[in-house]
Amino acid sequence: MQNQITVNQVTITRAILEHRSSSSQIGTEEIDLSGLTSLAELKSIGEPDLVVELIDLYLKDGPERIQKIKTAAARADATDLRQAAHTLKGSSASLGFHQISEICEQLERLDWRDSHHRLDALTELLQYKFTRLREVLLDLRRSRLANNNR
Amino acid sequence: MSRERVRISNRVLIADDDPVIRCLVASVVTNEGCVAVEAKDGREAFQILQSNADFKAAVFDMSMPCLSGIDLIRYMRTEKRLQRIPVMMITAEQDLKLMSASFSAGATAFLPKTFTRELLQNALRMLLRTPTRTPVAA
Repeated sequence: MQNQITVNQVTITRAILEHRSSSSQIGTEEIDLSGLTSLAELKSIGEPDLVVELIDLYLKDGPERIQKIKTAAARADATDLRQAAHTLKGSSASLGFHQISEICEQLERLDWRDSHHRLDALTELLQYKFTRLREVLLDLRRSRLANNNR
Repeated sequence: MSRERVRISNRVLIADDDPVIRCLVASVVTNEGCVAVEAKDGREAFQILQSNADFKAAVFDMSMPCLSGIDLIRYMRTEKRLQRIPVMMITAEQDLKLMSASFSAGATAFLPKTFTRELLQNALRMLLRTPTRTPVAA
């Protein structure tokens, strides 16, 4: 059993490292912002930039949901964990952030009482992906604000 | 015989615990010339509906704290003043059984949450044009 856990830990850790390695090679290209930027067409004249507004809401709400996932995992509270993962899944999918949405989907469906290590790995991966996405979104935000002010 | 003019509301009630989805739906609603009234969860939507029935349509998230979207629809279908309001259910769940459950409860339309702006816009247009509660799968 101990060996099995060790093997799983190694496998999961390797998976994360490989994922990080391939992600860093791809750079920001893997983050598809077209779903988010297409929403700009909804902007009415004189109203705030919807894309900027959605970025602000997502970057405020996302870390709170991730923190709830971590807290729920630490408390072994499956209901709270699923609720937080479910909500983050929905907003991420609707803005086109499918990688984060997929990780949340896995967290939501995980029978984590039997998979603590997978839960830890998925939570870590979620945090990592969100941090990377945050950087890209902040760049996009800066760029849109600069264009809007021209 | 006098003709009574019926005022048609242009308000749309949106209930979702996710601020991102609320903002997104509200933008589309506003873009369609309607007024978005936002509720941050099922309980707040319930409180709004208790005191106000002046809505052209409603958009509910299925999974919310306190009261779910289905709970809200069931409540609305038991209140005569709310029965006429068409409701679209949105959900991040992939299970198609939920679509059936939504329609059984009295939903007019159902939209899975991985929606694009166009899909949301089209579904909302269908909903706003719905004169009666005829089920529509978006």
